Amino acid sequence: MSQAPTQRINGLALFILPSVLLFALFFFLPIGLMAVMSVLTGNPVVAPRVAFTTRHYARIVDDPYYLEVIWTTLRIGLLTTLVALAIGYPLAHWMARIKSRTGHALLLMAVLAPMLTGIVVRTFAWMTLLSDKGVINQTLISLGLISQPLKLMYSETGIVVGLVHIYVPFMVLTLTGVIGRIDERLEQAAENLGASPLRAFIEVTLPLSLPGILAGSLLVFALAISAYVTPILLGGFQIMTLPVLIYQQISANFNVGFAAALGIVLLLISLVLVIAYNRALGLVSGQRELQ
Amino acid sequence: MGTSAAHNPSLASDREAASRQAAAPAHAAVGPRHYGRYVYLAINIAILIFLLAPIAVVVVFALNPTPFIQFPPVGVSLRWFEKFFASRDFMHALGFSLEVALFTTVSATILGASAALALARGNLPGARLIVVVMLSPLMLPAILTGLALFQTYVLLDVGRPTWGLVAGHTLVTLPYVVRTTLAVLHNFDLRLEEAARNLGASPARTFFEVTLPLIKPGVLAGAIFAFIVSFDQFPVSLFLVSPGNETLPVTLFNYLKFDLDGTIGAASVVSIVLAFLVVIGLDRTVGLRSYVKL
Repeated sequence: MSQAPTQRINGLALFILPSVLLFALFFFLPIGLMAVMSVLTGNPVVAPRVAFTTRHYARIVDDPYYLEVIWTTLRIGLLTTLVALAIGYPLAHWMARIKSRTGHALLLMAVLAPMLTGIVVRTFAWMTLLSDKGVINQTLISLGLISQPLKLMYSETGIVVGLVHIYVPFMVLTLTGVIGRIDERLEQAAENLGASPLRAFIEVTLPLSLPGILAGSLLVFALAISAYVTPILLGGFQIMTLPVLIYQQISANFNVGFAAALGIVLLLISLVLVIAYNRALGLVSGQRELQ
Repeated sequence: MGTSAAHNPSLASDREAASRQAAAPAHAAVGPRHYGRYVYLAINIAILIFLLAPIAVVVVFALNPTPFIQFPPVGVSLRWFEKFFASRDFMHALGFSLEVALFTTVSATILGASAALALARGNLPGARLIVVVMLSPLMLPAILTGLALFQTYVLLDVGRPTWGLVAGHTLVTLPYVVRTTLAVLHNFDLRLEEAARNLGASPARTFFEVTLPLIKPGVLAGAIFAFIVSFDQFPVSLFLVSPGNETLPVTLFNYLKFDLDGTIGAASVVSIVLAFLVVIGLDRTVGLRSYVKL
């Protein structure tokens, strides 16, 4: 963008080397080793003889339990994404359109503050809210609205609520950038031509923000399917997702090969999402260059 | 931007003026428009409450003296904070977390800023792809980074060293530094460097006296992000910490599995306060607007 592509590589290019080394040693090598481990019968360091096997993958494909786990993971990811989009969009729209600088800074802080609070802390917060003796159930009981506590925790609903809270800031930040780039005069023109604000929004703003919706949704989905603190603590191992299963295979069963195979499955799903996300972002920046 | 925006700082009055202009002939339309405006605000305020209420509840819970969740709270006490600060485990974990975050920040900042410089100025072939790869730890499951590193350390028989944990943290924090530094480099007026060179400065001197001061805000923002992300990092840490050398989030996680008393609340408040201080510091030093663009 800033320089003509015809220029030759210069000395500054060497500054990339330390990061390349870091990625090679601590990212590509480990992921590669994980792929190797997923097709070995045992740990080559401990076991004297190891051979090639596809049994870890066969186990995933053959046992309906594991397919069910993958489906649960995707379902929770999808629900989280939809809810995060539904509550992220209005906030992003407000942030993109608010005129006052202070108002914008306050909104940004409200969005960033939860983001910068650790995942464990936020999950703990939801435990205090959702558990049987939590704030919500105690309040409802003391108001006489219910007699038995609602089962909010150890359910998929609880996990989705916790995940939405954790990932909605990512949705808001992605959408704000995209909505902010939409020329407000387009909406005003639609309203001047007689459209109601709602109709102007649905027919002008919403279609123009589709690339942002796509990018934000892919990002949240990718993050939600790889979460495991929230599913473990809010699901209490009663609801199995792929990351929870991987963690269990390592911590309880110490089945490294099977964990690696599950990891590769999760990696492949995520890679597809990352590529799609970058395509979507490409659409966003393409739109920016047009304006 | 409408011209009226310059005079009316608030969105409400701006919209009001616009709708009055638009709906001047049809008075009936004014009513529903205002109604819609209130619905819009009400929805957004509800969303903000959803975002912030859990944090408020944690603070209330940390100050509530009863050893179980009680709502409404019965009083204010600092006993959980005393317990937290007196706990050898929590204090050790806090110290270890700060140590790891500090090492991570230094390495991620140096590596990330130089990588961004190379990507923006080195005329590297395939720079776009390299950026995508370097940002990928943000989106790829951190649990896999943790699992893969754990397996590698086991295979290489190196145990669970602190440098191994710092390397894992550097990998997941590097994208933040690369992103913020690249953002600054892209908005950079190249003529400033050319001017310095034309006035006789050596490339090294140009770098230290022109380039570095100009990209400093981006690098600083990235460094602060790296610190917070490392301090709160959990998925990678869980696989790489060794017993006795656990980071604060891992200690909290293990504690949470068995206990749900106010100590967790106090520990949470300490890390929330830290995060807030950093966000405010960030806003004061570099301004939040500049880098929260995706």
